[in-house]
Amino acid sequence: MDPQPEPVSYICGDCGAENTLKQGDVIQCRECGYRILYKKRTRRIVQYEAR
Amino acid sequence: MEGGGSYHRMPKVRIREMKDDYLKFELRETDASMANALRRVMLAEVPTIAIDLVEIEINSSVLNDEFIAHRLGLIPLVSDRAMEMRFSRDCDACDGDGQCQFCSVEFHLWARCESDQTLDVTSADLKSNDPLVQPVDVARAIDAAAAGGTLSSAVDSSDNRGIIIVKLRRGQELRLRAIARKGIGKDHAKWSPGATVTFMYEPDIHINEEMMESLTLDEKRQWIDSSPTKVFDIDPNTQQVVIVDPEAYTYDEEVIKKAEAMGKSGLVEIYAKEDSFIFTVESTGAVKAYQMLVNAIDVLRQKLDAVRYTEDADFHLLDEHMGGAAL
Repeated sequence: MDPQPEPVSYICGDCGAENTLKQGDVIQCRECGYRILYKKRTRRIVQYEAR
Repeated sequence: MEGGGSYHRMPKVRIREMKDDYLKFELRETDASMANALRRVMLAEVPTIAIDLVEIEINSSVLNDEFIAHRLGLIPLVSDRAMEMRFSRDCDACDGDGQCQFCSVEFHLWARCESDQTLDVTSADLKSNDPLVQPVDVARAIDAAAAGGTLSSAVDSSDNRGIIIVKLRRGQELRLRAIARKGIGKDHAKWSPGATVTFMYEPDIHINEEMMESLTLDEKRQWIDSSPTKVFDIDPNTQQVVIVDPEAYTYDEEVIKKAEAMGKSGLVEIYAKEDSFIFTVESTGAVKAYQMLVNAIDVLRQKLDAVRYTEDADFHLLDEHMGGAAL
């Protein structure tokens, strides 16, 4: 289905550096080695029902 | 209620007190089914406009997207247009898309905090594409500004700062588009124009004067004080017990129990008049309180018409039974 899984960018929980990870990559910051990374919010518009 | 004519209902309405968001009126010469139908329609079936769809572009606030969407939905909007508007589900101009001028109103909001002080994002930051549809408190501020003073001073004055949606700290941003649609309280409470709608039966209080005169002044005072609400008092001139406010009576029966405890059962008899109701209506401001009553009667009539014009219904038997009142 998906021709190439797009690399997704994450933010390091310690130093704040931006990391791009692909499938199978080790979850670790390239700058400081911290192992907690946060996914960035989508740039797309998201729709909600106000209920 | 006169005998045999109980189906002839020609109710009478007398308005007692009328403010934009408050209405007190009497409904007479009808029965509880009519009074309760009116109450229920006012709460759940008078249409208003409320935000129903939220498209969030940027949200770096502390509240998550669905939390903000829910808060936006609950903001009361001025809904004088609601009776003429279409429900988006049966709007043919936009194929039920719910985004056209006949069935929706668009709002935009963009706020970003640039200072070290917390920024309050309020209903005043919602920009409407229809000047007739505004958040209730914003419309009130505009009216106050038209009466004298500037708009910004009316919005910022301490008693009218708008409804807070979210607070932002430095660097946080909120950017969204919201679609408001017509709806009814039965679908979601955000569309209900009523804060409270209540009715009470008018009490009919009879004091047995002869028995009352057999009481000493002190006993009268004790009996009067047994009522949790101030219904009775003593006339300072004649020292007789008088009814000062029958409607303060809450059907608690405390005065009846007190009379029995004093060995004077039958001292007072209290009935609920079955054909008189006192209504209290409080509005959220989306629809003015008196307009809620007028619209509710309109909605009720539309519902009755739907029944009356049903082709396969046979109403002749019912009509006969009701002595010609049904058709």
